[in-house]
Amino acid sequence: MELREDLAPVKRRAAVLVALALVALAVLLLRLVQLQIVDGASWRQAAENNRLRRIPVASQRGRIYDRRGIVLADNIPTWQLLLFPDEAHDIQETLLFVARLGVADAATLRSLEAERRLARLAPLVLADDLTWEQVAKVRSHQSDHPELAVVNAFRRSYPLAGATAHAVGHLRLVSRQEVDADPGLDQNTLVGATGVEALRNAFLAGSDGTRYEVVSAVGQPIGVVRESAPAPGRDVATTLDVHLQQVAAQALGDRSGTVVALEPATGAVRVLYSSPSFDPNIFVGRLSRTEWQQLTDDPGRPLNDRSLQGVYPPGSTIKPFFALAGLAEGEITPDSAVTCHGGVTLYGHPFRCWRRGGHGGVGVVRSLEVSCDSFYYQLGYRMGIDRMARWLRRFGFDGPTGIGFGQELTGLVGTPEWAREVRGTPWYAGEAISVAIGQGPLLVTNMQLARAYAVLANGGHLVTPHLVASADVPPPVDLGLDPQHLALVVEGLTRVVHGGEGTAHFLSRLPMAGKTGTSQVARLQEGVRAQDLPEHLRHHALFVGWAPLEQPKLVVAAIVEHGIGGSTAAAPVVAAVVEAALADWNGNGGPEGEASQASDRLGPASPPASASAAAPASPADPRPADDPG
Amino acid sequence: MEHRIDPWLILAVVGILAASLATLHAAGPVLGSGLLLRQALWGALGLLLVWALSLPNLSFYSQFAPFAYAASMAGLVLVLMLGEDRGGNRAWFALGPLTVQPSEFARLGVILMVAAWLGRSRSQRLSLQGGLVVAAMVGAAVLLVVLEPDLGVALTYLPIAAAALWVGGVPARTWVVLAAVAMIGGAIVWQSGLQDYQKERVLTVMDPDRDPYGGGYQVRQSKIAIGSGQLVGQGLGHGSQSLLLFLPAQQTDFAFSVWAEATGFVGATALLAAYALLLGRIGWTALAAASRHGLVLAVLVGSWLAFQVVVNIGMVLGWLPTTGITLPLFSYGGSSLLSTCVALGVVQSVWRHRLLYS
Repeated sequence: MELREDLAPVKRRAAVLVALALVALAVLLLRLVQLQIVDGASWRQAAENNRLRRIPVASQRGRIYDRRGIVLADNIPTWQLLLFPDEAHDIQETLLFVARLGVADAATLRSLEAERRLARLAPLVLADDLTWEQVAKVRSHQSDHPELAVVNAFRRSYPLAGATAHAVGHLRLVSRQEVDADPGLDQNTLVGATGVEALRNAFLAGSDGTRYEVVSAVGQPIGVVRESAPAPGRDVATTLDVHLQQVAAQALGDRSGTVVALEPATGAVRVLYSSPSFDPNIFVGRLSRTEWQQLTDDPGRPLNDRSLQGVYPPGSTIKPFFALAGLAEGEITPDSAVTCHGGVTLYGHPFRCWRRGGHGGVGVVRSLEVSCDSFYYQLGYRMGIDRMARWLRRFGFDGPTGIGFGQELTGLVGTPEWAREVRGTPWYAGEAISVAIGQGPLLVTNMQLARAYAVLANGGHLVTPHLVASADVPPPVDLGLDPQHLALVVEGLTRVVHGGEGTAHFLSRLPMAGKTGTSQVARLQEGVRAQDLPEHLRHHALFVGWAPLEQPKLVVAAIVEHGIGGSTAAAPVVAAVVEAALADWNGNGGPEGEASQASDRLGPASPPASASAAAPASPADPRPADDPG
Repeated sequence: MEHRIDPWLILAVVGILAASLATLHAAGPVLGSGLLLRQALWGALGLLLVWALSLPNLSFYSQFAPFAYAASMAGLVLVLMLGEDRGGNRAWFALGPLTVQPSEFARLGVILMVAAWLGRSRSQRLSLQGGLVVAAMVGAAVLLVVLEPDLGVALTYLPIAAAALWVGGVPARTWVVLAAVAMIGGAIVWQSGLQDYQKERVLTVMDPDRDPYGGGYQVRQSKIAIGSGQLVGQGLGHGSQSLLLFLPAQQTDFAFSVWAEATGFVGATALLAAYALLLGRIGWTALAAASRHGLVLAVLVGSWLAFQVVVNIGMVLGWLPTTGITLPLFSYGGSSLLSTCVALGVVQSVWRHRLLYS
């Protein structure tokens, strides 16, 4: 046994170490107090954010049908690519990955930041038409990109594509401003931009649900915590007749123009077609900047709805309304007649009738049948612009038709006040004479034209055009026209087709009435024929008519831009629609059966069989070069 | 004369092991149930080792120390040559279904050797030469571990050297010389002893930003887990951070975070208290020891364990860099658990023979 050494100094040093360790533990305890007690709530919040994703579940939008139940707007199941911006490690790298997938072009992705679409905690729908390859690629890189998720969703689809593009409309993404104004609005919400989609958006939209999904750190969904189911939107049945719509599209072909057809008694819109059209399926509101740009830049302006947003000089199609006005005002009588020498001279200025040789003696009925300009020059001279304008407005010109679409133009009925206040130049007395034949400061939309002709066809009632029948549609308004006057005008328009001198006599096989019109885009020089002009200066061709003659069921108005002659270019379009409608009414071809069979192959490329038979839009149609206007 | 094993220390060990097993059990759905069974077996074996190793007296450990040290160094050299290559990192022997980490056990050899050497000293203050010997004993082992490279484990050798020099009472100039030697030695090793890929690994460990999924991300997830435990926790098996795998390495380096998320401030404090009890009893053993050898043994073991506890918890609490240092007795892993229990067994030998001057 050795002598015990003095360990006291060593133990003092050891005690220091023990104390050091215990102090360190005490300091860690303070850190625990800070993390768990003081800041605990905010860390708990961070944990909640870590595991819960709030995913808006879009409601299925209501379908849109035509009057026979053919689907015009549908929802198809699709794969949607969601981005959760706050979960991304490097958002630029993520966008690069997405761009490489080919789901969106780089320019569009770059604009996301400018539009502050990435700033919110809510997910962003990057695409809703992923292919299988793209889905597989996202899934195989899921652990690198937990911020991306592929989910099942629905995408809007328009089976008839271009044939119904303007009438049915399409969707758009809500704007940044709308999202800022309404914090409850999900930034991925699609709303109707145009057509029925916009008109009945609240009805079609339903209300979105929300799903709280648990996800792991690598973005793998683990389970659903709670879910409020979306309320699906309601279906909308429109008044459109897809069959007639397609016939109209077929008849117009690649020419620019518009066809509108109404049921004259109610104002129900049967056809609302604008050419050129576009395929609304190529964009449903998401990330389609490039395609959108192409459509916007297209010189044919396919996005423009010429039925409602195109304004045209009505040409001779305006004459029936001045005839009615003249009769009502007593400026002409059923028996009064003028003699047409091929023109009149008023205010010291010669106004030429379209027929150089003159029409001879012309009464009200014949003035319409042969579309005599001299008759209306003199009528306009007697009535004066104020009375003419007042009457035009009674028939719904220079005002909204009430169809309710966002950007309907109201056209123009020029008056001295208008000239002073808007145009800024004096009103010339001769302008009223031009207005009398539908030229000069007078612009109408095709919808206004169809609506005004419905008044003639239904016995004097101004209807409100509508695509969806509802209690909100105002009832027809009786304009209080004299039935005898109306009968004269109807007789005149019937003779346009069925009279020996009628300007649309070549359609006399059809039980229809109507009026041709040619409106000048540029004044013709002497000796220059309209056909020789460059296309953009050629005359517009118009035709408005109805069928059948007894109790008309359809008013059809067609405008063919730069089509030169109302009878050669526009009348066959109307005739094609009327012929198809007649076939339907007579049960020829069975519209119900045909329509439902054809519904899944409908499209501009595959017209129903009856359309070709009913479309005598042949350029070989024999008409004189000198066209009535 | 012999005494009983220290019941307070056993209480602390059993408490920590129980908490560890409960955490592993709760994590079963995420990590699988195999871990729990293994850890329970290691734990039982560990307790047995504490008892068994408390039986020999200190002269046995004194005589055994050179052999243990030689075996440790041999193990570290062999693992560099024969160890299983895990992505360029040779730290494990594969023995059938088991993997053994020699660096965990080599630490015991170092502790026994340093304690035995210091125990023979009779002066109140360690000389410069004595300090250099201690530093060389530890430094040789550290060098081999760095070469694996396993910087986390290498770091745990440093408190052993520091504590030995401190209780040995080296003069101030010794610290200066040792610091200089360490820096020069480190630079030489860095320049000539390490391959480029090894340097890269060391750099990655030292600079977590080199690894985007390490460093900041891991620590933030850990702080979220611990903080969201709040006062009483989310319940074992209900912690979202651990269930959803936001928490990295949750059975090893970040095991404390799982526990703190599940049991809150109450549970985390209880675990800290268990470690305070464990370290306190080891410290008490050192102060009660009759011999310098026993005292140094307890101090070295206590310093090593205290270092690991503080560095690991400091790391998961977001105060210290992530270094891959585990929480003794709590983190999953047989090598770490068994080597800790062996060390505690030696400390218990000191306790049982605390009045015996050897």
